[in-house]
Amino acid sequence: MKKALLNTNMHDPDKEFDGPAEAPPFDLLKVPLLGRLLMWRHSRTLVQIPLLLVSVAMILHGLLGPTISPKNLATVLTWVHFRGALVLVLLCAGNFFCMACPFMLARNFMRRFIHPRFTWPRALRNKWIAVALFALILFVYELFSLWSSPWLTAWIIVGYFATILVIDGVFKHATFCKYICPIGQFNFLASTVSPLEVGVRDRQVCSDCHTRDCIRGRHAPGSDLVILQRGCELALFQPGKVGNMDCTFCLDCVHACPHDNIGILSRLPASELMIDPQRSGVGYLSKRKDIAALTLVFCFGALMNAFGMVAPVYVVEAWLSHLLHIHHLAPVLGLLFTVFLVAEPAILLGIAAWITRTWAGVTLSWLPLIIRYIYCLVPLGFGMWLAHYGYHFLTGLYTIVPVTQGVLADIGWPVFGTPHWTLVGLPMYVVEPLEFGFLLLGMAGSLLVAWHLAEEDSAEHPMRAFTPWAAVCFVLFLGAIWLVTQPMDMRATLMAG
Amino acid sequence: MQEMISPQPVRVGQATIAIQLADASAKPVTHAKISVEGDMSHPGMSPIFATATETSPGMYTAQLDFNMGGDWVVLSHIALADGRKLERRIDVSGVESNQ
Repeated sequence: MKKALLNTNMHDPDKEFDGPAEAPPFDLLKVPLLGRLLMWRHSRTLVQIPLLLVSVAMILHGLLGPTISPKNLATVLTWVHFRGALVLVLLCAGNFFCMACPFMLARNFMRRFIHPRFTWPRALRNKWIAVALFALILFVYELFSLWSSPWLTAWIIVGYFATILVIDGVFKHATFCKYICPIGQFNFLASTVSPLEVGVRDRQVCSDCHTRDCIRGRHAPGSDLVILQRGCELALFQPGKVGNMDCTFCLDCVHACPHDNIGILSRLPASELMIDPQRSGVGYLSKRKDIAALTLVFCFGALMNAFGMVAPVYVVEAWLSHLLHIHHLAPVLGLLFTVFLVAEPAILLGIAAWITRTWAGVTLSWLPLIIRYIYCLVPLGFGMWLAHYGYHFLTGLYTIVPVTQGVLADIGWPVFGTPHWTLVGLPMYVVEPLEFGFLLLGMAGSLLVAWHLAEEDSAEHPMRAFTPWAAVCFVLFLGAIWLVTQPMDMRATLMAG
Repeated sequence: MQEMISPQPVRVGQATIAIQLADASAKPVTHAKISVEGDMSHPGMSPIFATATETSPGMYTAQLDFNMGGDWVVLSHIALADGRKLERRIDVSGVESNQ
């Protein structure tokens, strides 16, 4: 029964449950109209085209438009609306932003003419490059104050397009999505706490199916070279797929399945973090040091990213600068990142692992233990991203209106009138409780995951195995609460003042 | 054209923007209409606005209420009496929070 509660889509078909029969999960693809729209072969293209057009507008406005960040489409859409909408959609539904990714539209168009010949080197088939890029983006964001520069923001978008075209022009399958894209990795990890996942409706149907079309795709009769429908480019074989890790919601598997047996199904958010089965295309999470490192950057980076926008960071920075006689930004920032992404996790997770081993008697050595339990931090980390990006999104919700008015007026087509710059967003008395709510939700999710793991590891003393990790969650939660109560202090350079 | 902002360092709260307009022969430029706008360096924040008044020939002052710590960009939109328009930008870095 507990297993049924955890995840309706990942049960073992060979085992029977003692409790009442499971109710079939909600299936988004069976919702009238919306389901049919999503099932349409070109549904993904339909949402990618407007986003591609918006991306082009952002690039042009970023390079040629106003240099003041709040008046430019590139910065407003990237740093206010895109990030906020992304985390809210992940919270409420799933990884639909990867589905709508405009970079993939450009890449698919390119692949009509260029057919990659190489496979991604085996040694690089992991997340280490993506982890490094994710941390680098967080670092560069602070170092160059990306939020304040439309020009740099536009070039980042251009760089993204260029990188995906080069990588996926040379290497087969969805190499960029699976191994490189830092936004994608963020989405993969965050979507582990989403309520929807692409999954198999009836496992018995898969047991009787031998086509493997969901991963192979469908080919023209008599020719393996002519692809009628792509299968999963991220190597996720539906019968063995567990959760949302590495799933871009592209729905290729849905279109490829000859039995119409794949849906977008509801599940308990974060349930996939409470178990550790072998996952198709991913393996065991407990054996993936790279995904654990990604999780570490995701969770501790959430705090670092928020810390960069509150007043106390300048006190710390000034103190470090004075103490070490360093007057350049990069080394001071590097030191702060080292503290947040290396020292702090090493101390917190190391102590928790040591207590779990000695007090609860869990026999795993310290590193596998940390890797196993680090996933319990994902909901809390996501809660911090939600609180942070949700704050910018909600308090700046309407700013897109005057910016769009400004763009249209600048090109001599003022159909929406003169810009109403006073349109901003929701008041703080609405947004602040939501921020706390996101953090509490994340904390609750993290505790739930930690408890399930502890119960499995120490049947006799689950509380002993749970307590150290709950304490880590609590420390991070307190840090997050402290951060959202600080006065915001957006400065373009950390060394200023 | 010269601009000054006080007090220094700028803190969250009221600040005075003083703008002195003079022509090439240092003669004060009078009867200009000046509106002042403050934007944070981060998008999505509330902008602030004020209208400058001419306190002496060629000298205009406006009160801006900086409502948040951080980096601001202050834009002065100037409409001269002869119809010409100018825009001037001042970067106000590191407005300090009061807490």
